[in-house]
Amino acid sequence: MFKYILKKLIMMIPILIGATIIVFLMLHLAPGDPVHLIVGPNITPEVYDQIYRSLGLDQPAVVQYFKFLRNVLQGNLGNSILQRRPVMEIIWQRLPVTLELSLAALLISFAIAIPAGVLAAVKRNTITDYTCMTGALIGMSMPTFWFGLLLLYFFAYKGGYFPVSGYGTWKHLVLPAFAMGLTDAAVTARMARSSMLEVIRQDYIRTARSKGLAEKVVIYQHALKNALIPIITLLGLRIGWIMGGSVILEKVFARPGLGSLMVDAIFARDYPIVQGSLLVLTTFIILGNILADILYAVVDPRIKYH
Amino acid sequence: MKKFKFLFLALSLLLVLGLAAAGCSQGEGDTDPEETKVLVMAYDRDAETLDHIRTSWYSDALIYIFDRLVSRDYDFNYQPGLAERWETSEDGLTWTFYLREGVKFHDGKDLTAEDVKWTLDTILDPDTASPFSGDLQAIQEVVVKGDLELDIILKHPFPNLLFNLSNTAAGIAPKDAYTEHGDSWGITTVIGTGPYMLEEWVQGDRIVLKKNPDYNWGPEWMSNRGPALIDEVVLRTIPEETARLMELETGGVHIIRNIPPTVYDKVKDNADITVIQGSATRLGYLAYACDLEPFTDVRVRQAINHAIDRDSIVEFVFRGLAEPAYGYLPPALKSEYYAGSEADGYKYDPDRAKELLAEAGFADGFSVTLSADNSTESTRLAEVFQSQLKEVGITAEINLMDSASYVDFLKEGKQELFIRLYSWPNADILDWFLLSSQFPYPNHSHWVDDTTDELITAAAQMATWDERAAGYQAVQKHLIEQAVWCPVYVPDTLIAVRKEVKNFKFHPWQMMLNDGFDLE
Repeated sequence: MFKYILKKLIMMIPILIGATIIVFLMLHLAPGDPVHLIVGPNITPEVYDQIYRSLGLDQPAVVQYFKFLRNVLQGNLGNSILQRRPVMEIIWQRLPVTLELSLAALLISFAIAIPAGVLAAVKRNTITDYTCMTGALIGMSMPTFWFGLLLLYFFAYKGGYFPVSGYGTWKHLVLPAFAMGLTDAAVTARMARSSMLEVIRQDYIRTARSKGLAEKVVIYQHALKNALIPIITLLGLRIGWIMGGSVILEKVFARPGLGSLMVDAIFARDYPIVQGSLLVLTTFIILGNILADILYAVVDPRIKYH
Repeated sequence: MKKFKFLFLALSLLLVLGLAAAGCSQGEGDTDPEETKVLVMAYDRDAETLDHIRTSWYSDALIYIFDRLVSRDYDFNYQPGLAERWETSEDGLTWTFYLREGVKFHDGKDLTAEDVKWTLDTILDPDTASPFSGDLQAIQEVVVKGDLELDIILKHPFPNLLFNLSNTAAGIAPKDAYTEHGDSWGITTVIGTGPYMLEEWVQGDRIVLKKNPDYNWGPEWMSNRGPALIDEVVLRTIPEETARLMELETGGVHIIRNIPPTVYDKVKDNADITVIQGSATRLGYLAYACDLEPFTDVRVRQAINHAIDRDSIVEFVFRGLAEPAYGYLPPALKSEYYAGSEADGYKYDPDRAKELLAEAGFADGFSVTLSADNSTESTRLAEVFQSQLKEVGITAEINLMDSASYVDFLKEGKQELFIRLYSWPNADILDWFLLSSQFPYPNHSHWVDDTTDELITAAAQMATWDERAAGYQAVQKHLIEQAVWCPVYVPDTLIAVRKEVKNFKFHPWQMMLNDGFDLE
């Protein structure tokens, strides 16, 4: 098992290097002069050159990339152009805000999706099934930010139950977590339903029923366990999706997380912050995938650790 | 099944811990809501740094943390600030400033001429790479003559020194701030002499300022020269406009500066909110690349000026919350503004526009691209310009992009017709946009003209403010003749204020919160 995990972790390295190349190229091919952004109006050519050189922008892109990669390997993501302090430090400040939202959303998503999916599968083609799946379809079709704005309007602006924006208390977390969690639950619920349907059609369930076991026991003790396998693995994949989704939602709810940091940095052409936060997000997505692989192996004894 | 339970428990635990941690960090701010008067203002963008010397994005927090040598009153006149008076030598090259007595920094140290020298020298030092250094290039040397007296020696006469010293970027910081505070300066530590002190900055979320209880050196023109009446000011970052307005309406935010005209009606009808309307130091204009056919011909430029119906734009795009513009500076700049702008400028006259185009050899019109940023306002403007230009035979294809890409696009010089808005309280904005040395960017209209260069350079280096103002008026007259841009509108400044805020006073450039602002 340890070897399996180690192998998966080592496989992460080439993927991450690939990610750094893409991130680096994307930003350097984008138009925009970071020097003008830092110094704005009325600068002398001397000041311009000074900043241009200090950012290493006078060197060829390949040299800049390898310097960047060397620093990344040493845990140094460079200094922010505008804030003039280590990107790592800035990201560490913002990351907990994003993780808090992502975890809460994930929890809400699974807490709603699994019972709804199972219920829909067990009561297939009944009004319960239709209700659950219509709800899921609506959830899937609704952009997260728009759903976020709707929640804001009804529960914060009209109802006054929660603060409109900001960060700090559990009340600030509820609306964005539900906005993200409910739209995410739609995807998971559909998955749970189809997985459950597949399982309850299998022979061992028929056997369990023919033994005279109560329907409750058949569903909860025999079917659910196997039906959950693909859903658990989905958990790993959803982490990346949810963290990516937080980019927009953090803007809507004015949460000072990694997403809003990245969006601001993109508009300010603060390359090191964009690179750094993209890299951190990519790492989480890759880690999520590895977690999915590992969980899959753990919950399904048929998978061998190769 | 145990594994699933474990997973679920682990996730729940993480969530609870996260929430608990978040709850702890917030705890202290909630004490004594009745005793502490807290004013909350909302902005779409956070500060980049609170080191005002090294940024070009000035958070409003910097207005209150620092004081400047010169201040500007409600009529936009230059008045004493930290300097209680100043004298200028006859040749205009030596400015002697006399500092107020008894001014203290937030850490308790006295303000001296050495601090002023350090601040100005640091801005001018190329190693600092201060974005503001270009504005102070006229300074040759700063000489300390006593604890409270200093000379600023200039390379050439430069009356605009007054404006530059009143700028947010010219706030006076304590000597050796950089060496004493290192990297924490501008992030966790900022020390000024202003009416508010930095309490906390949670990046991306809020800047919290606490009243400076020792403050008693407010300028003479303020009704309250002592400590501010509001104990705490919180500057919150709420990027989404809808969320900002909801916070205002539900009372989470007291003041929003610059609300868009599109939401004016909605906010105005709310009994809890007053919208303060004032003249802005901004100008919106339609411009063209003057080095590109057919804009090289002054008659084509004049034709475009005649083709634009400013009154209908003000009425339909801005719902009357703007003034039509004919000159190159906003009228709020008073002494610098050329009063003959409207009389000399080009009125809406499509027939005259067609005549001018025919004279220039474009009787059948021509086709161009019309570029703008993709904000709601610019998009609407672009559509209106397109239809008004169509009437005189000019076919404009609209090309919209996000604001950062738009600036890049202008820097690359790809523009033909394009829409811009500037915000600046001084005539030197014309140097910035129209001197040939600024070609091709920021001189985005690619206006390279000897007369303009001579007129601007002469105006900027006049010996006195009045002569300088007259010089800039001549510049504006020349620009109108040459139809270098097509000035269109001066938007009103719209500040939304909740009813809890008392003694609000409108200032054309900054909000002077310490001048008697109070909360119910």
